[in-house]
Amino acid sequence: MIKIALYGKGGIGKSTCTSNLAAAFASLGKKVIQIGCDPKADSTINLLSGTPALPVMNYLAEHDDEPSSIEEISKIGYKGILCIETGGPTPGLGCAGRGIISTFTLLEELNVFKKFAPDVVLYDVLGDVVCGGFAAPIREGYAEDVIIVTSGEKMALYAANNIYNAVKNFEDRSYAKVRGLILNRRNVEEEEKKVKAFAQEKGLEILADIPRSKEITLCEDKGMTVIEGAFESESARCFYELAQRLIREKENE
Amino acid sequence: MKNTLKIISCYSADTAGVCSILYEMGGMVVVHDASGCNSTYSTHDEPRWSKYPSNIFISALTERDAIMGRDETLTDNTVKAAKELEPRFICLCGSPMPALIGTDFYALASEIEKKTSIPTFSVATTGTYSYIQGAGLALKEFIIKTSVYKKREENTVNILGYTPLDLYINGQKERIVKLFEDKGIKVNFSSEYSENILNASHNLVVSQSGMEAAKYMWENYDIPYMCALPIGEKLSKFVLDIPNIKEPVFLERNTAKTSFYILGESLFSQSLAKALSLEEGIDAGVVYTLEKEDRAVAPCDYTTSTEEDTENFLKEKAENIIADPIYKHISPVNAKFMSLPHFAFSGRCFEHNIPNLMCDDHALKEVIK
Repeated sequence: MIKIALYGKGGIGKSTCTSNLAAAFASLGKKVIQIGCDPKADSTINLLSGTPALPVMNYLAEHDDEPSSIEEISKIGYKGILCIETGGPTPGLGCAGRGIISTFTLLEELNVFKKFAPDVVLYDVLGDVVCGGFAAPIREGYAEDVIIVTSGEKMALYAANNIYNAVKNFEDRSYAKVRGLILNRRNVEEEEKKVKAFAQEKGLEILADIPRSKEITLCEDKGMTVIEGAFESESARCFYELAQRLIREKENE
Repeated sequence: MKNTLKIISCYSADTAGVCSILYEMGGMVVVHDASGCNSTYSTHDEPRWSKYPSNIFISALTERDAIMGRDETLTDNTVKAAKELEPRFICLCGSPMPALIGTDFYALASEIEKKTSIPTFSVATTGTYSYIQGAGLALKEFIIKTSVYKKREENTVNILGYTPLDLYINGQKERIVKLFEDKGIKVNFSSEYSENILNASHNLVVSQSGMEAAKYMWENYDIPYMCALPIGEKLSKFVLDIPNIKEPVFLERNTAKTSFYILGESLFSQSLAKALSLEEGIDAGVVYTLEKEDRAVAPCDYTTSTEEDTENFLKEKAENIIADPIYKHISPVNAKFMSLPHFAFSGRCFEHNIPNLMCDDHALKEVIK
């Protein structure tokens, strides 16, 4: 099973990359689960024609009892992708990290991975690894690899460095390892050079180079990924290639 | 507010269950919690504290350590203490604060094990579940981590799930052991518990806390188990048949309708109901307020999770009630209430009134007098 967590600075395009990657995997015949780990709960919206899934934390807040089936806290999206959103508290209140942990506990209790038997699980995780809850997706038994999404912008690379260090901190704990970077271009000056320098310094590979494209924005306006709405575009090709590569490498393990 | 207890008490929490089930196992239990909470787990919920020593520690988690995620305070202190005390095993467990900050106990236990070479496991308790859950998981992890199968010892029984939270320290355990030993059945219930546990031929589950471990040993080592307590003479005879069982055995109760209800630990209550039927001809049902095994539920039994629900059910159905004295406050006034204190529920309040019902018909009669 391919189990990957995508991290990166807020607004860098993690959800875009995750859902496009999920859609690419699904188009290649794989059974996919995407879990959005962000209180905004909009990770999977472009796999669901723009209609968001009910976040798990909302369900728990509204019901006295925990759900008894996966269906109550998930939605089936593009090409059968199982979409789950942890959700979280109102900004400024509560504890979003704890929300992620509670969701994961619930998914275990519901035996989601056994019942759905996915080939691929993708975790889309909010921004930096700000507390224990946001490290939950890379704990043993969850994601095996971390892919950091970054552009050549200074703050995106700064966040990528923080994430890299956070994951490295856990290397004694059998946690996920950083697999590489996705360069999600913002067309800043010397973007490729800056990201390549960062990758080289950390000994990482740039796994995909996603061009800045209006197709992504246009498709997202329609609640779609480019895999669904512009499958012949350059961006879609990049996501397909990344998915194919990850499948190939998994098979060769 | 549905789950709020407004009148009755709450049961001991999962963390107390871990400390209790491992109390006499020769290990070291470290609860990741703020300083001062040790008394909850190891004295208020632990009647053995003044009689037998046990290594139960609190990490004394501070606000700053919690904010900064300084797990090394816990791991360094645990390693230091373990090197000094050389326990047979180390168990880490949690409380509400680590649950909120997402402490990864599984990873920390691995780190400690690497540094001490002492078998270390964790039970990620949050302090928000019942003692049954904590004790059940701790016993199972303890067996997985510390026990090795050597060879099957016929006619040997493990007692699974014993804690004073359910079977108070008034000779109940000793009577169960004597019951078997008098008939030449060897009982594994000593300091070599973990060494011999996987070699035993049978398991006697004496509380729901032993169920996880019993299922694990049945599925992985083909050790059949019986879920029953020897309450009264006839049920004691039934329990003595354990060396002959080949698969899991639960008490059968078929009562469909009754107005006689028992509240308490599930397996204890089922055994008491069975004993009442065998000895006194009373058909009693059980009201489950804690975890239970579905295969042992009778048609007249009822499962409840809230105080209001319990109160309404008793009001509607119960004319005779056996329960901890605190339940009297939500029982109908015209019902006959028979007091049976439960340490996991009312703690020390009525501890000296807890009867020893094991293998004793007279004590059983006293309860329903």
